[in-house]
Amino acid sequence: MNNEKDKELDDFFRKGLHDPVDPVFRDNDWSSLEQMLQKSKKPKGMVYWLPYISSIAALLLLFLGWWSFRPKQSPQSQSQVATVPHKQSASQSSEHAEIAKSTGASDKNINANPSSAAPGKASIGINAAASGRNKQFAAIMQTEKRPGKESNANRELAMLSLANPRPVFITGLIDQPGINSYTLPNQSVTEMAGKPKSENKVKITSRPAYRPQFAVTVLAAPDLNGVGSFQQSKVGTNIGLQFSAGLSRKFTVTTGVIYSAKPYLTDFDSYHTLYKFPVTPANVTADCRMLDIPLNIGYQVYSKHQNRISIGTGLSSYLMLHENYTFNYTTSNHAYGYTSPTSYTVPHGDNYFMGVLNLNATYERPLNSKIDIAVEPYIKLPLTNIGYSQVRLQSTGIAVGLKWNLNSLAKP
Amino acid sequence: MGEEELHQLISGCIKQDRKCQKMLYKAFYGFSMSICLRYTGNRDEAAEVMNQGFFKVFTHMESYDTGRPFKAWLGKIMMNVSIDHYRSNLKMAYTEDLDEAAHVSDGNLVDKNLNYNDLLAMVQRLPHAYRTVFNLFAIEGYSHDEIASMLNINAGTSKSNLHKARQKLKQMIFKADSSANGANYNNGMNCTPIVAINAVAVNGVFLNKGIRE
Repeated sequence: MNNEKDKELDDFFRKGLHDPVDPVFRDNDWSSLEQMLQKSKKPKGMVYWLPYISSIAALLLLFLGWWSFRPKQSPQSQSQVATVPHKQSASQSSEHAEIAKSTGASDKNINANPSSAAPGKASIGINAAASGRNKQFAAIMQTEKRPGKESNANRELAMLSLANPRPVFITGLIDQPGINSYTLPNQSVTEMAGKPKSENKVKITSRPAYRPQFAVTVLAAPDLNGVGSFQQSKVGTNIGLQFSAGLSRKFTVTTGVIYSAKPYLTDFDSYHTLYKFPVTPANVTADCRMLDIPLNIGYQVYSKHQNRISIGTGLSSYLMLHENYTFNYTTSNHAYGYTSPTSYTVPHGDNYFMGVLNLNATYERPLNSKIDIAVEPYIKLPLTNIGYSQVRLQSTGIAVGLKWNLNSLAKP
Repeated sequence: MGEEELHQLISGCIKQDRKCQKMLYKAFYGFSMSICLRYTGNRDEAAEVMNQGFFKVFTHMESYDTGRPFKAWLGKIMMNVSIDHYRSNLKMAYTEDLDEAAHVSDGNLVDKNLNYNDLLAMVQRLPHAYRTVFNLFAIEGYSHDEIASMLNINAGTSKSNLHKARQKLKQMIFKADSSANGANYNNGMNCTPIVAINAVAVNGVFLNKGIRE
């Protein structure tokens, strides 16, 4: 009975709706469809090629990063100039001590006039290297205005010395109390590093905040860590949580906390300490645990068929948790009745705010409406010296993460 | 519209000719809108869903099999985008609940003087979930199992929603009947006095299960 009544109702509606009254055509409806069709059209010309050009640019950037920091012969010859006086000073440490006393141990003008602090070949070597470095920095600034063969050569030299500036100054550091003598290159580098930082800020503020899109990413990343180059790199581990906010469809700001275990191996030349080793170690094995707090901005260069590629840059702050250094000796660590230490541990290290430059490229693909998978090759370049050992610690690796979209910009 | 003219328009649409697209859009505007109106709550929502359907048609025109009737293909796409629209608005689907619908008395429906607009307005007033199931079962002729798989729900839920939809519709019919020759359901539609001459047999069109966009 009921079934029949229901069927009757269904038939009543089916027949009643069978002959629809044609709704009046509205031009607005066509206009909105036309807009949809217009948006879906493939961009042509430069805009169409932009993702590919950007991808190539990102790869070139990564290659240049690797190229600049790859092991080279020329820096070694520079360091040889510096190590000659180092050996000399080690053997004549008592003489140096006397000279240092005579000129005043608290003399802070060593860099300004190093020849007065330590006469002889050693001081000339340092002085020449220091003045040469200044010229190289000047050359970098000049090359933009006046590109030429000579300036290009200077820039290359400057890049090399930027990449591995330590060995030249170590000799002075170990023997001399004037610590501030090595701050010159650092200041220069940090000043240069200040530029991208301010550019980032301009980018963020110039874009209007348009329906921010928030996401949380859990990531893990193996990476290679090295000092000056990746010649003696060791594999580290990173685990972290990142929070990202989309400023627009293209720009995303990301921050978070990443726990990093960064082991590395470095020549003793790159290791800086005021402690005078009775026997100079051949190299140092370090194991640093730190919190990496990045602040990055990303720009989406490609988005098609659910695949998204973006390139990003930014700065990282390292909060050191634990540092352990093991000193390796080629021969015995006993000399002159003294024993050189085999290891040193710093339980709570310093914090290095905005001391590392991040460059990355990210590939993202949704697994479902809420979760994306992200793969991010990255490189971290030092702007300041990191850790107790004050090394130029750099890392490169691939982060893999799951990104949880907290809200969706467009309707599903 | 003749077959030849239709095929010319279709081949123009494949070449992304905007003029052909507009002509095809205009030609099938009424047909597509009438489907989307049944699945949505008002004219604007229906236009939005219909445009999504036409967008799919224009971007996938090359996948249309010219051996099959175009209207059936288009109708199927309109139904599918309507279902997609329902799925994307699932949270809104159960905003209304049934009130005392169980005791609606049945009368002779044939005696009721209700036209297309009255019936459409009633269907549009149903909650989204009831409306979708009622459309698919009563108008399109799908079984509960088929509806369950289309909407990602249980067959039991489909039956329950259909039952509630019917109860609500009965309620509306008899309310309309009791209020002086039927209430004026203002659904915001502008209607032309001309009845579509080429209206298709709806059942025949939508039972074509070979096409799924």
